[in-house]
Formats: sequence, structure tokens, C-alpha cells
Amino acid sequence: MFEFLGPYLPTIADGLVLTLEVTVFGLFAGLGLGTLLALGDIYGGRVTSSVIRVYVEFFRGSPLIIQLILAQYAVPALLPLRYPPLVTAFTVFALNSAAYQKGYIKGALQTVAQDQMDAGLSVGMSGKQTLWHVILPQAFRIVIPAWTNEFCSLTKSTSALGFVGFMDLTGAGRSIVGSEYIVLPAWIIIAAIYLAWITAFTKIADIVYEKKKIPGLEISPV
Amino acid sequence: MGSVMECKHLWKTYEKHLVAVKDVSMSIGKGEIKLIFGPSGSGKSTFLRCMAMLTPVDEGDIYLTDECLTAKGVNLNAARARIGFVFQHIYLFRHLTALGNVELALRYVQKLPKNQARERALEALREVKMEEWSHHYPSQLSGGQQQRVGIARALAHDPRIMLLDEPTSALDPELTAEVIDTLRDLAKEGVTMLIVSHEMPFAREVAHEMIFYDQGAIVETGPPEHFFNHPNSERAKKFMTRLIKRTERE
Repeated sequence: MFEFLGPYLPTIADGLVLTLEVTVFGLFAGLGLGTLLALGDIYGGRVTSSVIRVYVEFFRGSPLIIQLILAQYAVPALLPLRYPPLVTAFTVFALNSAAYQKGYIKGALQTVAQDQMDAGLSVGMSGKQTLWHVILPQAFRIVIPAWTNEFCSLTKSTSALGFVGFMDLTGAGRSIVGSEYIVLPAWIIIAAIYLAWITAFTKIADIVYEKKKIPGLEISPV
Repeated sequence: MGSVMECKHLWKTYEKHLVAVKDVSMSIGKGEIKLIFGPSGSGKSTFLRCMAMLTPVDEGDIYLTDECLTAKGVNLNAARARIGFVFQHIYLFRHLTALGNVELALRYVQKLPKNQARERALEALREVKMEEWSHHYPSQLSGGQQQRVGIARALAHDPRIMLLDEPTSALDPELTAEVIDTLRDLAKEGVTMLIVSHEMPFAREVAHEMIFYDQGAIVETGPPEHFFNHPNSERAKKFMTRLIKRTERE
């Protein structure tokens, strides 16, 4: 039933690699940037917080495909910026994911109550030290389940890459269907690959969560 | 006796109407134990938080030995590192073990190397008889044990004074005794303490001076016997009667 796949294995492999690369980069760069945005929103004052809010609304409020198209075609046309297409893919996914992760991280930071900051200050730590050694470690543990969701959603969003000319995993599926006219088996295979990767990654995240879990902090508000 | 901590004409108002600290001046000498008591909502906690530089004052000055903490440009973190503070609701770092709680500031504020920080932290836990529990997380400890860790955390960096904000009032009655025992040990060692508390038998036993605080101001001060026998002000009299009755019921 699946003999037709043979010649397409390299295409599928390439598509899978691109999907993985963009997802993993988007997820981790988004985590870093999302953390900065969350901190900026909470501690940065009114102007910073308004700017951040506009940023977040843009990336959450418009389709990812349009963001990719804008980055690919509109930005180079309007600004004196030239960059290879792959940079677009990586950057847009990082910026987009950061907008979502900012929300999760801000929520987690706010559930780590003010009392932890007071406690940190009372022993002579600075606000920054308390943030780094006390508040962020607690917030990151709280955010892991939400972060896992973000990973699942991000992986599947990479399908949008096909619209700006990349061959991601879904793109590989499309090319098989287009040349062989074998529709269902091809999509079942592609779906199974997504499923396997997402299951594997979430399992790892669960293990990390269990390992890093601390008695009394395990009840996730997300 | 030179004072360890002193405040002069301290004011703190919340939202214009609620005056929590109204022109309060006091000083506490080395090895002295002073106990602040008074009705809830009278501003005792705010006063103590101001003294610890955890809440900014509106007016007035606070001195730690000879250094003015309310002057401009004072390094508040360094100042707080010389003051031990114990919270009513304990506020242990929830992601760290008892040892981790005590160790953290030793590592990153006192900048001790890992081994030394560990040793010093264990020593502090030993002082509050919590060494055996050093690897337990806050949620695995009883309220009394948590508060003893809170005391160890404040004590570990060898503060010039300990400020304790109702250290037993959030605990179940059967757990207050162990915390009181710990405080009694500190008193014996001559630790300078300013305590907000309504534990009257304890006050009578260890306090050098009691301070009756009401409506944001010090109403009356004196040795414990003064308050137990013949307080001057009507307010203190009434409050003492109620407290003593409650203590007898327990």
C-alpha cells in the first residue's frame, strides 16, 4: 500500500528536518524573547508595556501565513533589508511564538506572588537577583504544561511555510499527492510523522516536568 | 548603650487617609528585646516593614547603628542584608529546600563559596533545630517548622537586629510553642530583637520593654510588669485585659 513512498523518502526527510528546525528554534527563541516581553510588560512601565501589547496583538491577531508573506515580500520592499528566505521563516516563528509565550510566562510570573519578592529583598538580594534566583525558576516550572501546548501548536503551524515557497513536512505531502494522485495514504503517513514527533517531544517535556517538579509547586494554574 | 537601631519621627500614610505610622520614634540597644503589641490594623506591621526598609517611609529617618538608611544613595540591599526579617506568613522560597532557603543569600549576597555557605546554613538550621529537615521543601514541613526555617534564613547572615512580624500568629496554636522556644533560645544568646507579638507569657519572660502601639502611634512603653499590673492609658488597660483573658482561656 505504501510502496509509492520509496522515491519520496528524501523529500519527506527534508520536509521533516525543516519543520523540526523551525519549530525548535521558534520555541526556544520564543521562550527567551517571550520572557523578556513578559518582564518588560510587568516591570517596564507604561510606555514599554503599551508597545509590547501592540506587538502581541499583531502577532496573535493576524494569521501566521500573512505574517510570513509580509516578512518575505513586504518588508524587503519597504525597508533596505535583504535576507535569505530561511531567515524569514526562523524569525517569524520566533516572533510569533514569543507573542504567545509572553502571555503564558506573564501569567506564571504573576502567580508567583509578591511575597517571594519581599522574601528575596528581606535577605539582602536585589530585585534582579530575586527575579533570577527565586521568581523565574518558579515561573518556568509553572509554565511547562502551557509551553508544551505551544510546542504542539507551533509544530503544526509550520504547514504555513508551504505558502511562501518552503518544503516543510506538509509541503512534502502535497508534492507526493500532486505527482502520484494517492491522496489518503500519503496524508496518513504525513500525519503519523507529525503525531510521532509531537508525542515524543511532549513525553520528554513531561519527564522534565516530573523531574523538576517541586512538592507544593506542582499544581499548575494553566 | 549605643543603639543598634533607631528611628526618628517616622511617618507612613496609605492613600492619604490611613496613617499607619504617625510620628514614631524609638531606639533599641544591643542585646535588647522589645515587643510591640496592639490592636490589629493599628499599623504595627507597616512600622516593622518600614524599619526593615521593605516599605518606603514618607518622612523621618531610620538608623542602623550609625548609618542613616533613609539618606539618599544608601544601598538598600546591603542595608537589608544587615537586618534579619521574619514574616507573619513566613514566605519561604517555595522552590527551595530548607537548606536552599537559608543558603541562597549566603551564596549570592554574602558571596560565600558553596561549601562555606552550606556549612553556615546548616549551622543556622541547627540553631533552630531544623538540621534534620534540611532537605525538605516548604510544603513538606509544618507551619511551625517552616517558621523556624524562616528564622534560620534571617539569622544566617548574622544580622545586627532581628525584626519579627507576628511570627506565631499565622500558626495553629499547637505549633506556636516550638517557634516560641526558638525565640527564647535566641533571647538567651543575646540576639537583639524587635518583635510584634501577642504572646504575653513569652513577652513577660523575655522582653525588656513592651510597646503599646495603636492607631499608628506608640501610646505607652514600659517593662512587661508595668503592663501586666498597671498600664496608664485606658486603651492599653482595655487591650491588656482582653489579651490576658484570651491567654487564660488557652
